[in-house]
Amino acid sequence: MSGASAADVRSILSLPPSGPQSNPSHPPPPLKKAGSGRKPEGISRELYALIGPTVPSLLQSSKPRLKQKPNLGGGSRRVKWEHRNFKNPARKDSLQLQHWAKADDPEDDYVFAKYNVESNIYTYSQDEYNRLLEDSEWTKEETDYLFNIVREYDLRWFVIHDRYEFSGGPERSLEDLKDRYYSVCRKLVRSRPWPGDEASKSQLLNSLQFDKEREVTRKKYLTSLASRTPAQIAEEEALFIEIKRLEQTERRFKKDREELLRTLAGVESGLEGVFVDDDGPMGVSESKKKKKHGGDWESASAASNVISLGTPVPKKGQQSTKASVPSPEEDILHCIHRTSALVPNNLPATKNAHTPVYLRSAKIPVPKPAGLAPKVTAALAELGINHQRLVMPTKENCEKLESLLDAAAALVDLKRAVDRVEQEIKTSRERMDKSKSTSASVAGDAPETPMDLDQDETGTERDAEGEKEDESVRAQSVVSTRSTRGRKSSRRSMSISSVDTSTPVATRATKRMKK
Amino acid sequence: MAERVRQRGISICRPIVYGNTATVLTQEERNTLSSPDHTHRWTVAVRSAASAPDSDIVGGADDLSYFIKRVTFKLHETYPNPTRNMDKPPFEVTETGWGEFDIHIRITFVPESGEKAISFYHHLKLHPWTVTTEPEIPPLEEALKMGPVHSWQYDEIVFNDPFQSFLQTLLAHPPTPLPKTKRKPVPFHAANPGSLEASKGGVPEFTAAMEKEEAERLENAKQAVIAETDKWRNILIEKEKELEKLKRQLEL
Repeated sequence: MSGASAADVRSILSLPPSGPQSNPSHPPPPLKKAGSGRKPEGISRELYALIGPTVPSLLQSSKPRLKQKPNLGGGSRRVKWEHRNFKNPARKDSLQLQHWAKADDPEDDYVFAKYNVESNIYTYSQDEYNRLLEDSEWTKEETDYLFNIVREYDLRWFVIHDRYEFSGGPERSLEDLKDRYYSVCRKLVRSRPWPGDEASKSQLLNSLQFDKEREVTRKKYLTSLASRTPAQIAEEEALFIEIKRLEQTERRFKKDREELLRTLAGVESGLEGVFVDDDGPMGVSESKKKKKHGGDWESASAASNVISLGTPVPKKGQQSTKASVPSPEEDILHCIHRTSALVPNNLPATKNAHTPVYLRSAKIPVPKPAGLAPKVTAALAELGINHQRLVMPTKENCEKLESLLDAAAALVDLKRAVDRVEQEIKTSRERMDKSKSTSASVAGDAPETPMDLDQDETGTERDAEGEKEDESVRAQSVVSTRSTRGRKSSRRSMSISSVDTSTPVATRATKRMKK
Repeated sequence: MAERVRQRGISICRPIVYGNTATVLTQEERNTLSSPDHTHRWTVAVRSAASAPDSDIVGGADDLSYFIKRVTFKLHETYPNPTRNMDKPPFEVTETGWGEFDIHIRITFVPESGEKAISFYHHLKLHPWTVTTEPEIPPLEEALKMGPVHSWQYDEIVFNDPFQSFLQTLLAHPPTPLPKTKRKPVPFHAANPGSLEASKGGVPEFTAAMEKEEAERLENAKQAVIAETDKWRNILIEKEKELEKLKRQLEL
C-alpha cells in the first residue's frame, strides 16, 4: 500500500472509471493515440498511473460551465404586461392588491396561494378532554388557550412561547408547552378511529413524538458545550488524544501478548487468556467481542479438533428458530399466522393457555358497549354492512370489521354527546330567558327572606361569601333544576351589591383564590 | 412424548366452505319418491374452499380428511335417522324435502389434533335468492327454470398452537389457494346483496377477488364513518363553545 493509483483516486472521488476499455461510450482521448499504451521500463505502476497518459483530469467533470445567458425574449416578440387586480385567498377581508402579470396569462388564482398552508391543529370535545386529556398540571382552560395560540402562531414554537401569557397559570417553559401540545395530539390520534393503515398512523404518531426530558437534557448539553472556556476545550482535546494513545498502546500490547502466548503455549490455551481481559479504555462493545470470540473459537477448534465446550449463545437461537421459521410465502401458502415469536418454545402446554380450535366467523366482533349495539347496527346497515356475517371472514376482513365497528361506536357515542350538549344548550337558553324576566322583576323587588336581607346588609364580606357558595352549588349541578334557587339568590345579591360600588373586585378574587 | 409438544406462537387455518345446493324436482322425479310432497333435492356439504377446475360443485378441490375425522349433519327431526355421520369424504348429505330449516353441522377433528369438535348451523336454502331478505317463493315451474340454488358460506378453521405432529400433517397438505380472479359466478351472500346479479348462471366459485371486494366494502364504510365522525366532532365542539358562551352569560 505505497501509493494511490489513478483508479483509486477516481474511486475515492466516485468518478466514472477512465480509460477506453472501461468506458466504451466515451471516445478515447486523443492523447492516448499519441502516447504509447505501454508503460516504460523502470517506472513503477503507481507512479506511471499518476504521470502517464491516463492521468485523470479531475477538472473534466467539475469544469465550470458558463452560465446560460438568460433569454430576454431575444427581441423576437414583445410581451405585454399589465397591472392587474388579484385576490389573495389567504385574506378573509376584501383586500384588493395589484400585481404585474403577462397580458396573455389567463386570470388564474393567485399563484402563491398554494404556499399558504394551514397546519392541521387538533380540536377536542369536552368528553374527549374528560376521558383522555386530564392532566394535573394543566387546566382545560389553559389547554384551550395553548391550542388557540398554537393555531394562531401556526406551530412556531418560539413565537408561541414568547407570546404565551395565561393569567393565573404557572410559568411554562417551551418544553412544557410542546410536551402538553404533542401529548394531547398523540392521545387524540390514538383514541380516534384512523382512516388509513397502521403504518401511516404510527408514522403520524412518530411525528408527534416529543420527549421532554431528552429535549431538556439536549439543551442543557448544548448550553454547557457552548459555554466551555478555552482552557476546558484544550483539556478535552488533550484527554481525547491521551485516550487515542492509550488505545493504540493497548492494541499493540495485546497483539504482542497474543503472539507470545501463541508461540509459548499453543493456540487453545492462549486464546482464552487473550480475550478475557480484552478491555480497552473506551470499551469494546459486548456483542462485537462475543462475535469475535465465537468466530475465533470456531476456527481454532476446527483447526485443532478440540471438543467445543458449548455453542455460543447467538448460534443457539438461530438453530431453534431455523427449524420453525419458513419464508413468509410459505406461511401464506399454509395459512399460518405467527402470533408471537417471543413465547418460549419449551413451556409446558397447559390447558388453560390453549385457545381451542374455532371457526373464524365465530370470532366476528360484536359492538363493544352493549348499549350502543342497536344504534351501531343501524348505522352500519345504512352503509350496507351486515356486521354479523361476512362473505369472506378471513383474518384481515375480521380485523377490518372490528375497526369499522369501533369507528361506528365512536360515531354513535359522539352523536349522543352532541345530543347531550344540545340539551344543555336548550336548558341554558331557557334559564337565561327565565332569569332575564326574573331579574327584571327582582331588581325592584324587596328581598324575600330575612337571611338575604341580612347578607346584603352586612356588607361586602358576607356578600362575597354567599356568592361563593352559590357558585359552588352551581358548579356542582349545572343542569339540574335544583340549583335554580341558588342562582336566583346570587343574581339578586349581585344586582343589589352592584349598587354598592365599594365592593372591590380584587378582594373577591383573592378570597376565591384562598378557598 | 416429543410429538405431543405444541408449537407455540402459531395459528394455522384451513379455509372451508359449507352450505347447500338445491334443485327443484320435476314431476316425474317426484313420482318416483316415497314421499311425493318433496319438491327439492338438496345436498349439504363441508368442503375445502377452492373449487377443483372443471368441477360442477362448489369448493372441494382438496380432500379435508387429513384433519377432519367426521362431519355430522343433524337434519330436521322429521327425517329418518336425522343424525347423519360422515366418516370419510365427501362430507355431504343428499336428501329431498319441501322446506327450509337449520342444519346443525359438527366437525370432529382427527385425534392427533387434540382438538374438540366444533359445531355451527347452516340454513338450508331451497328457494332462489332475492334482493329483499323476505322469502319470496316463486312458483316451482319458475324456480325450475332458474336452475339450482346455491347457498355457501366461506369460513376458516383456526388451530392455535398446534401439536408439532399435527402441524407437520397440516404442512404436508397446503390448501389450494383461491383463484385470484373471477372465472365463474360469485357465490351469493346475504351480507352482500349487490352480488345477486353476478351470482347467476352456473356453479359459483369462491375467489380471492371476493375477499378483496369485501375488504374494500368494509374500508369504504369505515372511511364514510370516519368522515361522518369528523363532521360530528366539529359540530360537537361548536356546540360546546356555544354552551360555554351561554354559561358565561348566565354567570354575569
